[in-house]
Amino acid sequence: MGLLRVISKRGDDRVYWNEQDALTGDVEANAAIREAERIFARERATGATAYRLEAGKPVEKLEQFDPQASHIIMVPQVAGG
Amino acid sequence: MEMLGSVVGVIMGTLALILLGWLFVDSFLKWLEPYRRADRLLRTVLTRAQYRQLMWRGYVDIKSPCDRKRVYRVPRDPGLVGMIEQGKRKVDLCLQPLEWVPGADIVVMHKLMIEADEETYLQTANHFTPKCISEW
Repeated sequence: MGLLRVISKRGDDRVYWNEQDALTGDVEANAAIREAERIFARERATGATAYRLEAGKPVEKLEQFDPQASHIIMVPQVAGG
Repeated sequence: MEMLGSVVGVIMGTLALILLGWLFVDSFLKWLEPYRRADRLLRTVLTRAQYRQLMWRGYVDIKSPCDRKRVYRVPRDPGLVGMIEQGKRKVDLCLQPLEWVPGADIVVMHKLMIEADEETYLQTANHFTPKCISEW
């Protein structure tokens, strides 16, 4: 099960997908992955940065959407204050 | 007839008060929701010890992945992040999102950036000497 969280003024927006179901050809699961991928690309285009979190592993910056990731957090563009 | 009118008036007044109360509670819960969601994310991203430190002390120390002697002191409330090396506050850093997000999300943002890409974090943040800030 994958989870994409986009940090925003609403707290965070979430999109879930199930890669195992998508691999078996489940239409809804594939649509969920495409939706997550679309949101990932849209947020990247606005300057957001994505981070991959996996239990027991260090946090990793993510340049491209990975449906195998279990938890992705997208942070809006930042600047020195 | 007069009695009936006053009873209807009381009922209408009560209903109006209930409606106003409901609208107030509903808008308050909607206002609170981003903060609740941000706090849930914060609990997911921080370890228990880090979350406890943040709640009790008002800041969380994030270890530098590049330098074992360095930690970043990230405040819970809006403020500068302190870079601490060997127990001394060397630099204050200011970095903020371009859009408003709840405070807990800002703590998450600092932790992720420091742990995943410390170099870019340091390049992006504005640096201040702690002495200079305290003189303000």
